[in-house]
Amino acid sequence: MKCYICALEGGESEAVAVCIVCGMGLCMEHAIRKDVDVWEGGYPLPSKRVKAPLPRILCPECYAALYGK
Amino acid sequence: MTVSLGKRFIAEAVGTFILVFFGAGAAAVTLMLAAGTTPSTPFNIGIGALGGLGDWLAIGLAFGIAIAGSIYALGRISGCHINPAVTIALFATRRFAGRDVVPYIVAQLIGAAAASLLFAWAVGSDAVLVGGLGATAPFPGIGYLQAIVIEAVGTFLLMLVIMGSAVDERATPGFAGLAVGLAVAGIITTIGNLTGSSLNPARTFGPYLGDWLLGGQNLWEFFPIYIVGPIVGAVLAAFLYDYLAGE
Repeated sequence: MKCYICALEGGESEAVAVCIVCGMGLCMEHAIRKDVDVWEGGYPLPSKRVKAPLPRILCPECYAALYGK
Repeated sequence: MTVSLGKRFIAEAVGTFILVFFGAGAAAVTLMLAAGTTPSTPFNIGIGALGGLGDWLAIGLAFGIAIAGSIYALGRISGCHINPAVTIALFATRRFAGRDVVPYIVAQLIGAAAASLLFAWAVGSDAVLVGGLGATAPFPGIGYLQAIVIEAVGTFLLMLVIMGSAVDERATPGFAGLAVGLAVAGIITTIGNLTGSSLNPARTFGPYLGDWLLGGQNLWEFFPIYIVGPIVGAVLAAFLYDYLAGE
């Protein structure tokens, strides 16, 4: 798979990741890693945050749509 | 990693405050509304004079809705036990850390006491002298041991619902608050006119302290009923559920 954004710009590079939202192939330059904390459990026990955050890869468009940046 | 103990302490205090202010407050208001009426039987102390068992259903719903709201608001933070019997039952079945038991119970007692004192201040002296701040006591004809057993059976059902609707990982998510609230409302409707249906040592502690400090009745002699009964009932239910649900 090739990087979709590089292809739009007329270039070509191998994709190293896929956007979790839209499925776009992304090279290292265009992939955005946005880790998320995961909480499990709840009533009647306090929620617990799992020790490590989960990695999540987004493309620039989805990142901007979700986080307004 | 959980939320800090300090934040959980505050959440437990706030949750128990809501439970006592609205739940016990509803009982006090019902007594104030019924003041001056002539009870139809000696078994009737005022709650029930206006609408029979409907009075108890209304009080039960006040408790139940307040509890459901607290669970949805605070359940993820502290677990929203808002009841020492629930905290002890979860500890007894090794679900809750022993080092957190005393802080949780202290928070629950503080929240309950604050609720009763604020209710008395906001409503006025009749809340204490007529409404008794919604304190619980055995009703005419109900002995000390009978009251303990009734409180144990009521709390048994409450804890069984908590186990089945919330603790069990197979439970449908999101319904626990509603299920627990409705269970409390149902329990209070039936045993309210027997023991007051505390199901919760903290719920009884707040009004007892308020009445004692503000010139109301001294009811401390009955406090062991509302410690022993709920704790025994909750612990039995938790162990029974684990046995029934286990492989």
